[in-house]
Amino acid sequence: MDDKTRLELYRVMVLSRTYEEAILREYHADKKPAFDIRAGLVPGEMHLSAGQEPAAAGVCAHLRRDDAVTATHRPHHIAIAHGVDLGKMTAEIFGRETGLGRGRGGHMHLFDPQTHFSCSGIVAEGLPPATGQAFAFQRQGSGRVAVAFTGEGAANQGAFHESLNLAALWKLPVVVVIEDNEWAISVSREASTAVSSNADRAAAYGIPGRRIEDNDVEAVYAAAGDAVARARAGEGPALIEVHTVRLWGHFEGDAQGYRPDLADVPGRDPIPAYQARLAEAGILGADLARGIKEEAAARVEKAIEFAKSSPVPAPQTALEHVFA
Amino acid sequence: MSVTESTSAPTGATVRRLSTARAMVEGISQEMERDAGVVVLGEDVAKYGGIFSSTTGLLDKFGPERVIDTPISETAFIGLGVGAAVEGMRPIVELMFADFFGVAMDQIYNHMAKIHFESGGNVRVPMVLMTATGAGYSDAAQHSQCLWGTFAHLPGMKVVVPSNPADAKGLMISAIRDDNPVVYMFHKGIMGLPWMAKNARSIAPVPEEPYETPIGKASAAREGGDATVVTVSLSVHHALDVADQMSAEHGVELEVIDLRSLVPLDREAVLTSVAKTGRLLVVDEDYQSFGLSGEIAATVAETDPGMLRAPVRRVAVPDVPIPYARSLESAVLPTRERIKAAARDLVGA
Amino acid sequence: MTDVRFPQLSKEQPDAEGVLATWFVSDGDQVARGQLLGEVTVEKVSGEVLAPAAGRVRLLVAEDQTARQGVVIARVE
Repeated sequence: MDDKTRLELYRVMVLSRTYEEAILREYHADKKPAFDIRAGLVPGEMHLSAGQEPAAAGVCAHLRRDDAVTATHRPHHIAIAHGVDLGKMTAEIFGRETGLGRGRGGHMHLFDPQTHFSCSGIVAEGLPPATGQAFAFQRQGSGRVAVAFTGEGAANQGAFHESLNLAALWKLPVVVVIEDNEWAISVSREASTAVSSNADRAAAYGIPGRRIEDNDVEAVYAAAGDAVARARAGEGPALIEVHTVRLWGHFEGDAQGYRPDLADVPGRDPIPAYQARLAEAGILGADLARGIKEEAAARVEKAIEFAKSSPVPAPQTALEHVFA
Repeated sequence: MSVTESTSAPTGATVRRLSTARAMVEGISQEMERDAGVVVLGEDVAKYGGIFSSTTGLLDKFGPERVIDTPISETAFIGLGVGAAVEGMRPIVELMFADFFGVAMDQIYNHMAKIHFESGGNVRVPMVLMTATGAGYSDAAQHSQCLWGTFAHLPGMKVVVPSNPADAKGLMISAIRDDNPVVYMFHKGIMGLPWMAKNARSIAPVPEEPYETPIGKASAAREGGDATVVTVSLSVHHALDVADQMSAEHGVELEVIDLRSLVPLDREAVLTSVAKTGRLLVVDEDYQSFGLSGEIAATVAETDPGMLRAPVRRVAVPDVPIPYARSLESAVLPTRERIKAAARDLVGA
Repeated sequence: MTDVRFPQLSKEQPDAEGVLATWFVSDGDQVARGQLLGEVTVEKVSGEVLAPAAGRVRLLVAEDQTARQGVVIARVE
């Protein structure tokens, strides 16, 4: 892998983490003293992706703007990696008129036609529409692909199995990426899944499946490269499972009492680990790392400023946009 | 309120009549000719032609690339329709029986119906979900439901329910051309199928050229001044039969409003008619409670209950799963007998 | 005057009886050549009856009546 690509992966992960830290700050800022989910500038549920950056960065590095990406209730890192406009995304999270969905969708329902990005709050249900986008791309003969991100818990939902079968049957150009962060809210993968690796389930559909361990962004990059190339070449779908880590709770407000390994979790942070790896390779010195961090912070704060200064949707417009 | 179009041919000219099934297929076919982005997906839609003949002949005409049999995976293929529509195609997806919505309802009401709104209008889902509904041939509880009330209740999808061949074609063309998701619900009993109870009004004149029947506009299937019957689908046929009898036997003239669309609902048409007649009978083959019939009654009550000279009457399926035994099934369906009894009671005849 | 015959739908049983399922036209209607006149069924297979010529159609078999494949079911004058 060339240095430029490696640094780009690092940069995307830092931007994503910086973003999530800022949203974390903004989300909790005005919900004190006791956590009140209804309160503040960003009400409602919040599912942040700290720790899962390698899956997003490693896969999306292979994608073009006109490739489709569907994500889940935990979408920010994927949206960022795929190039969704940071300001409009943030405005949507803050429920503003200038948001991607004019404040109608919120953080779990981000739709960006410019980058063919969408996400859904219903577990596994983003896969069927992704197969549909792939279906359209296949007929256009454009070489475009659809990538559907989902979780290890979602791999037990009917939609997952139906979608893989159909995609395999029709050789649709779709890549399914499972982020195995080990926890479906409070239920561990061992307690929910009959097989030890969802990558093995690919065999049930006659497609390639690969599991990436250690949250290794470069291994993700390599596997995704193969899968995306395969799909672009018309050879059909593939499944990638990334063993990643959810550094924070399932949603903000989750005390994670169910998680026995909680003390070990911060030590599994992939970003300092990758930083150290690149530093050791001599391509990421302290100044460059600081510069990347500062640039990320500036972009993120600008997006938050834009969101905060944007108008709130007028109540009289609440019934608009039901139908085209 | 518009009157249903009918073909009036001068004497000696060709009168072209079709069954509802054939009319529907013709609508799909003409749109597939016009727009390469229209494809049909579903179970048994290709060689079999749809188990209720909704796609007969399309495979031969357009080939397997555009008329596609799917595995039994409603969530996957309905969701596939959603994604394809998002990327610019105009898929027609068939849900074989409306009763099967349960296995795929998330894709229908949380995705197909909501993506446009959640995206602030930036993403469109121009898709048709067509499905067979209705009872009367002993297919029992899981294969006999109408369920349009359920779909109509959930925001974000248009719902059309044709009662006759001409509307079946026109509404199909409108549904395909509409940039919104449209649920197109056809009653098996109006299709004019040779293997189901024949219904005279299931074979009727249909214009040959493509045309759109407006979504959201009811039609007066019959005009009259004594009472308003608001209904949809196969019940339109029964209501018209009853109206003929009431006219002949009691000199009572019923006005029959064929809603044709539930979403958008032509409340104007209902109110105009009830303002004229003062008496309202709603006939609905869907379950009685929490559905279409209540919605029609509420429309009148919240506008001006004073326009009613008698309480609203409803003839619907009484909140029971559709029974198998013929004697039981016909006891719960909105039959001509039940409609006539309610109408007589309503007008005091 | 042209005969319209009940279509041969069953090769295995060429003399099998079927049903005149649906007439799309009425007795005495003007029809065009190739126009769909009706639908028949033999066992569970259905077939179409098309007008072999233009003219006025006379229906010889009623709806729901049985008829053998090959028999004359209508005439176009």
